[in-house]
Parts: sequence; structure tokens; C-alpha cells
Amino acid sequence: MTDSTAQCKRGLLGCLGLNWFFRLLSSSIGQKFVMGVTGLLLCGFLVTHLAGNLLLFAGAKPFNEYAHALHSQWELVAVAELGLVVLFLAHVYLAVTTTIGNYRARREFYVLKQSKVPGRIIGANTWMFASGSVVLGFVILHLIDLRMGLRRSLHYFPDPEAFEAPFHNTMAALSDPISRVVYFVGAIILGVHLSHGFASAFQSLGLNHPKYTPLIKIIGKIFGVIIAIGFASIVVFVPGMWR
Amino acid sequence: MNHAASKNLNLTLKIWRQAGPKQAGGLKTYQVSGISTDMSFLEMLDVLNEQLIASGEEPVAFDHDCREGICGTCGVVINGQAHGPDSGTTTCQLHMRRFKDGDTIVIEPWLAKAFPIVRDLIVDRSAFDRIIQAGGFVSVNTGNAPEANTTLVPHHVQQDAMSAAACIGCGACVASCKNASAMLFVSAKVSHLASIPQGQGERSKRVLNMVATMDAEHFGNCTNTGECEAACPAKINLTNIAQLNREYLKASLFSKE
Repeated sequence: MTDSTAQCKRGLLGCLGLNWFFRLLSSSIGQKFVMGVTGLLLCGFLVTHLAGNLLLFAGAKPFNEYAHALHSQWELVAVAELGLVVLFLAHVYLAVTTTIGNYRARREFYVLKQSKVPGRIIGANTWMFASGSVVLGFVILHLIDLRMGLRRSLHYFPDPEAFEAPFHNTMAALSDPISRVVYFVGAIILGVHLSHGFASAFQSLGLNHPKYTPLIKIIGKIFGVIIAIGFASIVVFVPGMWR
Repeated sequence: MNHAASKNLNLTLKIWRQAGPKQAGGLKTYQVSGISTDMSFLEMLDVLNEQLIASGEEPVAFDHDCREGICGTCGVVINGQAHGPDSGTTTCQLHMRRFKDGDTIVIEPWLAKAFPIVRDLIVDRSAFDRIIQAGGFVSVNTGNAPEANTTLVPHHVQQDAMSAAACIGCGACVASCKNASAMLFVSAKVSHLASIPQGQGERSKRVLNMVATMDAEHFGNCTNTGECEAACPAKINLTNIAQLNREYLKASLFSKE
């Protein structure tokens, strides 16, 4: 056992006894672990966000009531938003760094490459970075449209605190052709991303067993389809319903 | 053997030729004729090399040893698939009856930053040796072998250890992975030794050191695509990678290392 002075020679992390933590987070397996945890927690956000947004089918009053009930708890919302930003940034940061590392590790590409997985021609699993990038672009536009309210062309409700504002602003975004197309494509690609990501996260966390892995894979596919259809249906049907 | 069923094939081969590690390489086209369908893939390459030697050209360099699928020395990418189209098969156990007369076959070496090309189809897989040196062993007393039944290992545990131990270290997992990840190889050794009593002493140290060496050798990350499992001639299962992840996390959180 080393005493504390000897540990301090190994830098701040050594002094705090956190070398093991730094080693975990900088290792390939630790990074996949963080990727899986952040991904699953973001899946949890998607469920609540979709549940809330489906109130758009019920009309302006229920949606506005829900939005105001949510935002009246501003302390909770602030903590949740901070948490989501941290989760999202960690997920995106690790996606970028590991993809660069993977690209460098591959270095050269075969003249001819074919999968040996029976029946696989092209899979969501090989397009996680591409699908994730599309989702990132969609999320950025979505935040500009409805969280920050920065798109002047959208005709936002004059008073952002008014009871009618949430529904009005959502309709304004959904009737904008650019937002409509990006939201629709974003929802579908998000579903593709989840169809591999959900089950993959469990593997990264070390949870793979013949007892439950087949079920997790099926749930992952169904989850991807529900999220894609759920959000896409809002984009497709809601603007026409409440014109 | 049913010789009546054997046929002779005429094939076009497109083979990666590279004179040395620093030289530029490229695909070169060769014709071979009269290849028996009873031949193994490596015997077909032997025929080509005889032909090249007779015409005064350098033969194609490729790795091989036992030619019965147990040593892990051979391995090339055949038409874009590590060890060719059959599952659970090494290149030496692939037979020419899998091909048709007139086929074009593209033959490339394993490609990965961690596996630099030595010459033609031969790559340097010593990165695997360094990973094994980092922890793929057990420390035991020298002297007489202990009585076999003093340490009892339940049958299902033996089975798990044995199926992980089946890895022959050929590198097909790295070659077939889009990220050139060595996780299937590392997980096979870690799972094998974590399953048996003899491996317990170094269990935490082993997984931490092997993963650290794997990362330092510039292998990529696992993105759970399963290409390694499909290409593996020893049919090492992806559940081993999940076990590797568990072992690594356990060692990080609960060991003194």
C-alpha cells in the first residue's frame, strides 16, 4: 500500500485516489459503458417527451395545461435540462472520439467487403454515427425552434408566458416546411438509431445472456418503431387536425 | 472420397501483392486452371505459386501451418469475408467446391492498423502476443501436476471455459470488424480464465492489463455489430464480450488495482 504523499506525486487524480476512475473513463470499455448508460437515460427522456407531445392529438387546452404544469416546476425543469445537456454532450462527445479512434484503427479498407452475418446486407448497427449525426442536427433545429424561439419566420405567440403560447408555437413550428421535413426525417432516423442502440447498450453494460437478450433485442426494435411512428405521426397529422 | 463428383475449375484470382511493409500494394490478377474441387483453398494457392515460380515470378507470400484448422496461423479475406464464405471455418479448411468454374476470387490480407502488412497476404499479429503477455496466463506452482480431482469444476463451468478457450488467435475478428476491434479475442481469453479456479488469482489484474494493452495497440472499440462472431472460425460468442465488459467494470470498482 502506498501512503498519501507517494500518491500525490502522481498528480491531482492520484491525490484524490481517482486514478482508477480516470483509467475506467479513458479505456475503450469504460467509454462504451458511458455511451450505453447515457443512451439508455436519453431513451427514458424520449418516453416522457413522446407521452407529453401525444397530448397534441387531444387539442390545444390539454396540451397547454400540460406544458404549464410542467414549466411551473421550474426548479425541476432546470435540473432536468442540465442533466439532459450533460447526458447529450457526453453521448455526442464519446461518439465523435470513439468513431475517430475506430477509423484510425481500421486505417485501410478492403477492396471488397461482405458481411458474414447470415442475411445481413446493410444494418442500423453500422450506421450509428451517421444516424446519430442526423438526430443531432434535428435536435439542434428543434431546440432553436421551440426551446429558444429564435426563428423569427415562425410567427411565435407574442407573449411567451401566455396560456395559449405552447400550442400556438408548436403549431407554428409544425407548419413551417423546413421544420416539418427535418422533424419527420429526424423522427424516422431516431427510430433507426434506437433499433440498434437500445439493445447494444445492454451488451456494453455487460448484460448479455440467452435468458433475456433475445427479448431485449425485440424490445429494442419495437421501441425504435414506437418512437419513430409516435413522433412522425405528430408531424404528419397534428397540423391538419387543428387548422 | 467421391472422386467421381470432383471437377476442375478455371479461376481468375485478384490477389493483394505488396513487396514489403513500406511499399505500396495493389491487386494483381492471375489465372489458374485445372483446380480440383477437392483441393483446399491453400492448396489452390500452392498451385498458383508453383505456376509463378515456373514463370520466374515471386510466389505469393501467405501464412499457414497446421492446415487442419487448429493453429490459427492462416487467414486471408476472401471476396470480402474473413476466412471465406463458410461459417466456423479457417482458410485452410475452406474447400474449392465452394466455388464455381469461371469465378473471380479477390484475396486480401487482414487489414488493421494493429496488424501491419509484412508482405503480400502476411500480416504481423504480434499485437495479440503482447495482449496475451499482459495477462493471458495463470501462475501455478512448478513440480508435479496436482491430482486432477482436488479442484472440482462443475461441468457447465468447464463447458463455458472450453468454448471460450477454443479461440485460436487467428485475428479474423479484427479483420472483419469495421472498427478493427480485438474485443472478441481479448474477451475469449478473459472469459476462459475467469471461469476456472486456476484463473482467479490474477482475475482483476488480467482484465485491466489486457484491456490496457489492447487499447495501447490501437485496436478499435466494439460497436456490437456482431461481424466478429460471424467470422470467427472457433465460433466464439458475443456473450464473451459482455463478460469482458462485466469483468472490467468489476475489476475497476471492486479490486485494489
